[in-house]
Amino acid sequence: MADLIRRPEPMQSSPRSSPRDRGSRSPAYPRQDSSGTLKTTISLVPGKTPSVIHTGSFYLVKDIPDEAEITGSTNLLSYYNLEHSYNRFLNKKVKEELSAFLPHLPGNIDSPGIQDNSSLRSLIEKIPIMNKDMNQLSGSALSGFRLHPGALPEQYQTMNQMTQKKKKHKRKSKESEKGSALQLAQDISTADNPSAEPEARKNKRPKREDEPKDSKKKKKKEKKKKKKHSPDTAGTNGAEAAS
Amino acid sequence: MAEKFEALEQQLELFIENTRQMGIIVSDFQPQGQNVLNQKIQTMVSEMNEIDKMRSQIDNVLVPMEVFDYIDQGRNPNLYTKDCLEKALAKNEHVKGKTDNLKRFKAMLLVELSKVFPNEMEMYRALKQGRGPT
Repeated sequence: MADLIRRPEPMQSSPRSSPRDRGSRSPAYPRQDSSGTLKTTISLVPGKTPSVIHTGSFYLVKDIPDEAEITGSTNLLSYYNLEHSYNRFLNKKVKEELSAFLPHLPGNIDSPGIQDNSSLRSLIEKIPIMNKDMNQLSGSALSGFRLHPGALPEQYQTMNQMTQKKKKHKRKSKESEKGSALQLAQDISTADNPSAEPEARKNKRPKREDEPKDSKKKKKKEKKKKKKHSPDTAGTNGAEAAS
Repeated sequence: MAEKFEALEQQLELFIENTRQMGIIVSDFQPQGQNVLNQKIQTMVSEMNEIDKMRSQIDNVLVPMEVFDYIDQGRNPNLYTKDCLEKALAKNEHVKGKTDNLKRFKAMLLVELSKVFPNEMEMYRALKQGRGPT
């Protein structure tokens, strides 16, 4: 309480003049911001005990601030014209998987990035080397990319590991991709060497013709095996032996 | 702004397609594919250069860090937008409820104070009107 009492400061009056002569509304008492302060004056009449006189009517009456344009009670969605976005995201079902957002990306992108060390967080935390020129590789550098022919082990074939939704087409895409790998290599190489094309095709044709024949033979053998070991044939054989 | 993103998107798609083709070649490698593979590697370097050139155009784009967490978990980033909208709406409703209740409380308090201190409340109303909007 005592801390809140502020003595009036007679800035332009002489020390000999008393505040009683001037009055509380004289220029000697500059009007400052009254918000949050106690409107009182202290009378220092000689011969009498100092007393506190309440000049204001209410204690701690503050000036009301101007009304803000946006408050917490404003409908922010309509204010920022986000109603269309709200309907799009909240009324329609948004799919959980990342592959729904990026359907054309190859590989399995729905797995967490931490598993195969491909997370964006690690890229931010450990920034890779930047601001260096990326030049084309020389012949000697490219010699490091000479590969042995043959298929990769299945554990390293990440390009064929699509998301679960695409599993139905996986088998078809696998076969087509294997064939397309050869086609890709040949199409581009024939653009450079047109004479090599008919030989490669000749080599391919017998293989492709043999494949369906082999599969038919295998199916026939499997059917024969099933017939031999089926319960009907076993029953008839047993009946024949008994008789 | 959208054009810059489209150009970047196209460039990234080319890069991804090139990488995918390289993956197919490598998964079942044939000797005649070596030259093609070398070409693909050179194409990859040139495409990375093109993408690097576009960096200056999108320097001012700000992305919230939480989106990266969603992507790292294999979740759709649209879910982040959806979650933000839901949180904003919930907070908006919460604060509106507080504001409405405080307004009601003020009205009720004025009514009760007027009953108990009628003279003082008259002085208070006059003071408020003199100062500005109540």
